[in-house]
Amino acid sequence: MDSLVEFRLHGRGGQGGVTCAKILAAAYAAQGKSVQTFGDYAGERSGAPVRAYTRISDAPITNRNKVYEPHHLVVLDHHLLGPDVFAGLRPGGTVLLNTPEPMAAYRGTYESFTLATVDATRIARAHKIGSRAVVIVNTTIAGAFARLHGIPLDLLRQTYKKLGFLGNFAAAEEAYAAVQIRPASQPAGADAAVAAAGLPAVQPLEEHVVGPAPRLRTGNWGTQRPHYVENLAPCNAWCPAGNDVIGFVQSLATGHPGTAAEILGRSTPLAAVCGRVCPAPCMEGCNRREYDGAVQIRALERFVADATPVAARAAPVLPSARRIAIVGGGPAGLSAAYEVAKAGHRVTVFEGERALGGVLRTGIPTYRLPRDVLDREIEGVLALGVELRSGSFLRRDDVARLAREYDAVILATGLQDLRGLEVPGAGLAGVEQGIRFLHRVNLAGPVRLTGHVVVLGGGNTAIDCARSALRAGATRVTVAYRRTRAEMPAIREEVEEAEQEGVVLVEQRQPVACHGAGRVQEVELALVEMGPPDGTGRRRPIVTDRRERIVCDHVLLALGQSADLSLLPEGWTVQDGRVHRAGEALPVFAAGDLATGDGTVTHAIGSGRRAAGLALRALGLDVAVFERPERARSVPATDIRFDHFAPRPPAHGAVLDPWQRRAGFAEVNAGLPDAAEAHRCFSCGHCTRCDTCLVYCPEGIIRREAPGYEVDYSYCKGCGICVEECPRRAMEMSGS
Amino acid sequence: MSLEFVSANHAAAMAAALAGRANERARGFGGGVYPITPQTECIEWLCQQEFARGEIVRVESEHSAMAVCMGMALAGARTFTASSSNGLAYMTENVFAAALYRLPIVMMAVNRTLGPPWNIWVDHGDTLLLRDSGWVQFYCEDNQEVFDSILLAYRLAEDRRVLLPVLVCQDAFVLSHTMMQTDVPDLETVRRFLPDLDLPHRLGDRPVTVGGLDFPHETEAHRRQHAEAMARVPEVYRECQDRFAAVFGRRPADAVECYRMDDAEVAFLSMATTASTVRAVVDAARGRGVKLGAVRLRMFRPFPEAALRSALAGCRRLGILDRDISLGLGGVLWAEARACAPAGCVVQNYMVGLGGGDVRPRDVDGMLQDLLARDAAGEPRLVEVGS
Repeated sequence: MDSLVEFRLHGRGGQGGVTCAKILAAAYAAQGKSVQTFGDYAGERSGAPVRAYTRISDAPITNRNKVYEPHHLVVLDHHLLGPDVFAGLRPGGTVLLNTPEPMAAYRGTYESFTLATVDATRIARAHKIGSRAVVIVNTTIAGAFARLHGIPLDLLRQTYKKLGFLGNFAAAEEAYAAVQIRPASQPAGADAAVAAAGLPAVQPLEEHVVGPAPRLRTGNWGTQRPHYVENLAPCNAWCPAGNDVIGFVQSLATGHPGTAAEILGRSTPLAAVCGRVCPAPCMEGCNRREYDGAVQIRALERFVADATPVAARAAPVLPSARRIAIVGGGPAGLSAAYEVAKAGHRVTVFEGERALGGVLRTGIPTYRLPRDVLDREIEGVLALGVELRSGSFLRRDDVARLAREYDAVILATGLQDLRGLEVPGAGLAGVEQGIRFLHRVNLAGPVRLTGHVVVLGGGNTAIDCARSALRAGATRVTVAYRRTRAEMPAIREEVEEAEQEGVVLVEQRQPVACHGAGRVQEVELALVEMGPPDGTGRRRPIVTDRRERIVCDHVLLALGQSADLSLLPEGWTVQDGRVHRAGEALPVFAAGDLATGDGTVTHAIGSGRRAAGLALRALGLDVAVFERPERARSVPATDIRFDHFAPRPPAHGAVLDPWQRRAGFAEVNAGLPDAAEAHRCFSCGHCTRCDTCLVYCPEGIIRREAPGYEVDYSYCKGCGICVEECPRRAMEMSGS
Repeated sequence: MSLEFVSANHAAAMAAALAGRANERARGFGGGVYPITPQTECIEWLCQQEFARGEIVRVESEHSAMAVCMGMALAGARTFTASSSNGLAYMTENVFAAALYRLPIVMMAVNRTLGPPWNIWVDHGDTLLLRDSGWVQFYCEDNQEVFDSILLAYRLAEDRRVLLPVLVCQDAFVLSHTMMQTDVPDLETVRRFLPDLDLPHRLGDRPVTVGGLDFPHETEAHRRQHAEAMARVPEVYRECQDRFAAVFGRRPADAVECYRMDDAEVAFLSMATTASTVRAVVDAARGRGVKLGAVRLRMFRPFPEAALRSALAGCRRLGILDRDISLGLGGVLWAEARACAPAGCVVQNYMVGLGGGDVRPRDVDGMLQDLLARDAAGEPRLVEVGS
């Protein structure tokens, strides 16, 4: 019996103290000792003080009582220190303490026994040990225990392996290395602090009490606390234009369409446009995609903007307004103009075409974007006092002149260089750039096209060409793309709608020649195999020598565009969106595809905003410059509690039948009939005051308090259930 | 044989699984289970097991859990379930039925206080509620005994001279959740101890009605058969102990277990883990010259009256420790055992540790002082130990 050693462990419900005692016992069992371990049960509600016990002996253990006179203590929370903890501790014992305090903080106290300290909570948190709400320290502090009591680290590793905790062993190793040990320096009993230390004792739950229940301020049980937070929603993080997507969708969901329009107008004048033609990266980021389909954000944006023009109506009148010239009236130029005018400065837009809109007018067919919708939103920009000079394309010396005449110039001329087809026969009649074809269709009135049209490419231009060709009279349209459907940059729904209309997609085909006598009669395609991914993550196409020929009457090229920098005067270069001359930064900025080449309306809007901000700031004005948020910081789908949401498939607006669509250029999609789709929004990272935290709080100490909730921390035990149950990660735990 | 570091809940589950697998060449193994604290760990472990023949069925209540066991047992399978406290109370109708069908079902019960108000700690009132149900009842003292008793229970239950269900009881948490090293034999060794179950009245190809209507004269015959089977248990139990010792190399405790009783003038009678604490007090009192001994009742049904009489024969004072209360009477153990004390012996009842309080040596010592000071027995005493 002399070899009997008894340990008592003090922790709180949720810290894993009973399991900790089990780990210690298992480590001694592995050394051939008789062991016994057990905990106090039922009082182990989160945060409640709990005890666990471990006995080790060379002889069989028959004692079934709890440990009242321990040789050694393990304390998982330093707030527990007090007479209850030290009660019965035998002289010469050790105390292992989980504490954020350095050993020096205990100078002059607890000196009658060996004290060991380690910040196991910090280590466990760094190793992400615990639930999604709370940190669990048991497997970490056991490493410190091993060091204090001379258990070889390798034996501890074997124990973790046997118990299935090997994943937590790195934290135990860190605690093994980090624990500080201070031998006893005072005789037993000399330590007044032991009796007086700590907080007022919490009444044990099981104590025999006669009379009214004791007032239990359970708030001092907590080692961690819940907080309401606002986290970045993925839709906001993914929107290249910087729209407050979750803001406008939640405004719709709560019945405030006017506010939704106002929120969109803060960042874009082109919501009705984007609500039709945006590839909607926000929907790619939408966490509901992982559940039952992304929220139809694009359609909701259209719903808002069709009902209420989003553009700001008024701008401040500044006594010292600056004059900014914007070259190019496409989406980037319009966005920059809107941003500058909204801030109260004077804007002149130079547009080569007769009307503003850029590719929105010259490239995108009207069945996707009716011109009255485009005109209305452009009017919204001009209504802020933007001056327009259109109808003649600028030259190099014009740009240099503007830089002298205006306080700043923003160049947003888009992608004017069209990639050609560099194969034999590319010059044959009937082979045409798709952009030119679309330009004719959109600006030059009715265009007729007959026979079989082959479109080469896989982006939105290719699909626009294919569907416009059908509408212009083509009997057959084939789109040949060199990668697979999955890699097509075109909007997926557009591809599907094109196929419904009769467009045939052939994948993995690369043009190698056009044949014909004076006029194209065949296009020769090489079959492509998909190789390993390249630097962009897309699989690299490998052209084989297997060929096929397609008989055709027209070939439309949609192979991509690039920026045309020939507008820049000699010696001017673009660096990070700003134009430089001989190392000197000029007040000239690039926006949109000219700057980024991202090729979408939404990217152009974001870039225009950013260029406007950079230009105004360069003029010494105190303005915010739009920066795209980091997508990685947004709330991941794994943080959303799907089980709090009833499944509900995405809503879709009516579309015309394929035969009706082919008959002309009427708009294909009718849009959503109402805003009910907004109710599908999870509101990731943004509290909706859904009451889940309040309902699930086992203590009933969360109450509604405008604008949200308030937690009564004098009773909060830090159990983390509210955080665990929050459906949308609008709550988090932190150290108390 | 391997030394496993497990809780007694897991030990019971491991023993049941071994017994079940030992019957795989016959009609297999199964049972219905429903969780209740503090038994849950046991059935959780069992539900994670795969059985080549048979399965554990998760049901919606304790009543159905026993019904599944009865069906499976009638089909010839070896069966197991576990429950506790109010769960046993809800199961009670079918607990009686299992015995009256003469089915060799083995059940592990974790003794827990009946509520409300809810209390999950140890108290023997739940299984003592079933004392007249026709089941054999064992109360265990340590982890190894829980494991061994499950295996032993099958051999006893399935013996053709017995054919009765057996209840193996263990104290909530003090045993169920305490982890200690436990010897776990391999399956081949278990097979040597547990032959295939061959239930004489198992359902076969010929349709029969089980448990139809009994007329009074038939019930008289059935009750006599049942009583005679119970009466044969002590003898068969001793044979099982012998066989167990021959196969596993250790002998399970007797129905009545004596400690330093040879010359004892004062004794405590107790059941389950309280007996461990009592023995520590006996050693201490002997050191002070008090001729104290201890008797542990391991088998509560059938009540081993003869063995108990002989154990207590030299006793002048007897304290009977009950972890239960029969309201309106006193301790159940006391009520049954007091008649086994010799004439003139002062028999005092102490109901202690109700609701799971930790009965410590100082508490038993207090009762010893009380007992030594008595000239005559008093009313049954409720002793409070606090937490």
